[in-house]
Amino acid sequence: MLDLVQNTLDGIAAGSAYALLAIGFTLIFGVMRRLNIAFGPSIMVGIFLGAWVHVQWSAGLIEAALATFIGALLASIYIERLSFAAIRGDAALASMASSFALWMQLEQGVSLAFPGRTTAFPTLPPLPDIQIAGLFLGGDDLLVLLSAGLVLLVLHRLIYHSHFGLEMRALADSAEAAAVSRININRVAFLTFCLAALVGAVAGLLIAATDGQITPKFGLWATMKGLIAMMIGGLGSLRGALLGGLVLGIVEAQAQWYLGAAAREIVVYGLLFLCLIVLPGGIAGVRDTGAERKL
Amino acid sequence: MDPFLTSVLSNIGLFSFLALSAWLLLIGGEISFGQQAYFAIGAYASGIASAVWGWPFAVALALGTALGAGIGALVAWPAARLSGVHYAIATLAFAELTRASLNVFRYQRDIDGYLTGPDGANGFRDIRWVYEAGIAPGTYLAIIATLLLLVIVLIWLAARLNVMAQLRMVGEDPILAGMQGIRVLRWKIGAAAAAGGVAGLGGALFAHMATYVEPAQFSVMTGVHAVAYGLIGGLGTAIGPLLGVLIDVGLLESLRSLAAYRMIVFGGLVAIILILRPRGILDETLVTKVRSWARR
Repeated sequence: MLDLVQNTLDGIAAGSAYALLAIGFTLIFGVMRRLNIAFGPSIMVGIFLGAWVHVQWSAGLIEAALATFIGALLASIYIERLSFAAIRGDAALASMASSFALWMQLEQGVSLAFPGRTTAFPTLPPLPDIQIAGLFLGGDDLLVLLSAGLVLLVLHRLIYHSHFGLEMRALADSAEAAAVSRININRVAFLTFCLAALVGAVAGLLIAATDGQITPKFGLWATMKGLIAMMIGGLGSLRGALLGGLVLGIVEAQAQWYLGAAAREIVVYGLLFLCLIVLPGGIAGVRDTGAERKL
Repeated sequence: MDPFLTSVLSNIGLFSFLALSAWLLLIGGEISFGQQAYFAIGAYASGIASAVWGWPFAVALALGTALGAGIGALVAWPAARLSGVHYAIATLAFAELTRASLNVFRYQRDIDGYLTGPDGANGFRDIRWVYEAGIAPGTYLAIIATLLLLVIVLIWLAARLNVMAQLRMVGEDPILAGMQGIRVLRWKIGAAAAAGGVAGLGGALFAHMATYVEPAQFSVMTGVHAVAYGLIGGLGTAIGPLLGVLIDVGLLESLRSLAAYRMIVFGGLVAIILILRPRGILDETLVTKVRSWARR
């Protein structure tokens, strides 16, 4: 029983980072109605810029974090311009294929710039571990949870209590209606893309700083985790993305503990497949997501 | 023939099966990130049939194809009710599930003093039928080319019999197609079965050429590449995905001196092509134009 609770605790810590990735995906899908599969790789560019600053000038976490944000933002703008803004709105397939092509570019570019298998990343400041009634919460995990919670609060404030958030929600509801209401669609879509990049960069930063090292495979990893969490939670729902991330984290932790690493993958993908068949609206029970429109 | 050229052409042929498989589903209006699963199923099933059970090569190929088609239909049966992103992620989930299962799948028998058969993450060695039968790489290339041609002829026949036109209707607008009396769900499952069969056949051929397969070869990257080939080459004709493969593999070989920058060049090229032609180089408009020009 204690194991079960402990795994859940570990899962929530990991899941909070997944939730941020899923929220980044959801923001982009919400305003674009198109899938940006190069979302993970754009974060990867960010953390590598952070690592470069760290290695080059032995900079600390703050400078590396700034560099991470800048890198993820630049990579995202590059993707937005080439794969989304430049391609007609009704050619969603082309946007997706194009973002995949840019993913390949970014991944190879980073591999060329950092030839080693792994690159060092500044670690989180040491925080005391917490132990209550036999349960253990590492200082790193606590910091990850707190940071993710803070980002969620700021996001909630921005989306539901600001003018920009209103414009964003209007665009997500209906692009035509938003345009008629004198909302500059292109501007809002671009800014949302940037916002998603920043949210993703926080997730990337937390994961990289916990591990202390990064590889170019991070791009694929982040895209997969974000997509899975988004789909389990319910495509198009921000609350669903949060729930999906936490569920994914908890399921992974439990499966890892009780069944082992090889079975963990089988359990996660089996759950995703079943979830899509039985519960296409996800945990959040989304009805109209616009997903039934052709991708 | 030059052995290097033979191996490049064989690779182009094998990737073409995967690209055609993804293309068939694109025509039916669905994106699948998971066609590598049927490629893997075909490779493993035919490998077990020929190396472990000692079945003849042709029967092993048929088994790989049939299993790919059957499982394709079985997965599509519930999944075809989904659409868009849901379908794409469901296929991806199934493919990763297959890969993760192959990572723990062990089925080894003692064949001539050697343990032969899939060994989980260590892969599946010694699928040696082609080498034991003394088939030269050039001959094997001819086998690949013949079977690929057969698949293309079948698709061409389907186009002549208006089968492809109905599938395109389902892909363009399922609701409208349904109102015209087309059984949308059946067409989607049928397309998935055909796509699974083509991928299974390609996988079976791949396993016997490589003699060694491992689960890591059938990752998401392989599947996404297969979709990208169709989108680059064009959705208008079955030659489209082949053109996509040619551009990628051809560029890889011609830019050998620039191998380190290959993906940067290829990625940029694809991004530009897709801005200019969102439905690929050989898109429907171009194909129709060429057809009407040829008729004059």
